[in-house]
Amino acid sequence: MIFHRLKVGFHRLGSPPTFHKLCRILSPWLWAGFVACTAIGLYQALYVVPPDYQQGDSFRILYIHVPAAWQAMAGYVIMAILAAIALVWRIRTVEIMTMAAAPVGAAFTALCLATGSLWGKPMWGTWWAWDARLTSMLVLLFIYLGIMGLYAAFEDRRKGARVACILVLVGLVNIPLIHFSVEWWTTLHQGSTINLFGESKMHPSMLPPLIWMAIAVKLMFGGALLDRSRNDLVDQDRRKRWIRDVIGEEA
Amino acid sequence: MIPDLDYAFYVWTSYGLFALVMAWQFLQPRLRRRQILAELREERALRTGGYDDANS
Repeated sequence: MIFHRLKVGFHRLGSPPTFHKLCRILSPWLWAGFVACTAIGLYQALYVVPPDYQQGDSFRILYIHVPAAWQAMAGYVIMAILAAIALVWRIRTVEIMTMAAAPVGAAFTALCLATGSLWGKPMWGTWWAWDARLTSMLVLLFIYLGIMGLYAAFEDRRKGARVACILVLVGLVNIPLIHFSVEWWTTLHQGSTINLFGESKMHPSMLPPLIWMAIAVKLMFGGALLDRSRNDLVDQDRRKRWIRDVIGEEA
Repeated sequence: MIPDLDYAFYVWTSYGLFALVMAWQFLQPRLRRRQILAELREERALRTGGYDDANS
């Protein structure tokens, strides 16, 4: 019974008016959650957590850098799952979501690289090093940009989305490379400090703001993804009747 | 009060970049939506022959 309802709900999402309505309703809540979690996270990160005994206050960059890095990778995995669904079931709204995820993921990757540089300069004495972690993260940014470029290169949006979805799946190979780069190769970048399934090397007093910020960026990713998907859907369906009915009042 | 002045530039620049990226991700879709709605309004005006521009 529950499975049947989930199946029906999933198929209903393929209907553009239903998807548009879902985006309109969900997005403000996701953004509100983002603001609330960010406020708590930033307060704790800047005012509650004490300075690190070795890195001093510069370690506070972690509360931006790490959530951005996690989201850049998680965003890609979400995008790859959507791409697989889009390719197998040919659901247009899922194709739109896949393509809308790329610019948001690219923004997180760029933020991760920029804050990593800003952290690297005072700690390592250099803005950049061609080590495995940094380089694989840069490759992720290029993959994101490549997907966006490929999608934009096609006049037929559906065809462009399908071709870009294949590139999304090919690029997925880079995600484990990023994750295990600090174990497989000797890198200037430190090894993983936080272990979800074991003991973390980070002091527990430093964890709460990281968790708040990680939740915040996840909610923000969802909000931005739905906002962008909604726009792309309206843009593609601008000649269709349901659009006139739905946004007739706004237009 | 934090951060220590030695690291202030690096820390605040990172938080500033975060604020900029988040603000852009919030604003860009809304600006795009406004643009699409303006285009739809224009298309409707061309179709119906009437143009009721609230900004004029």
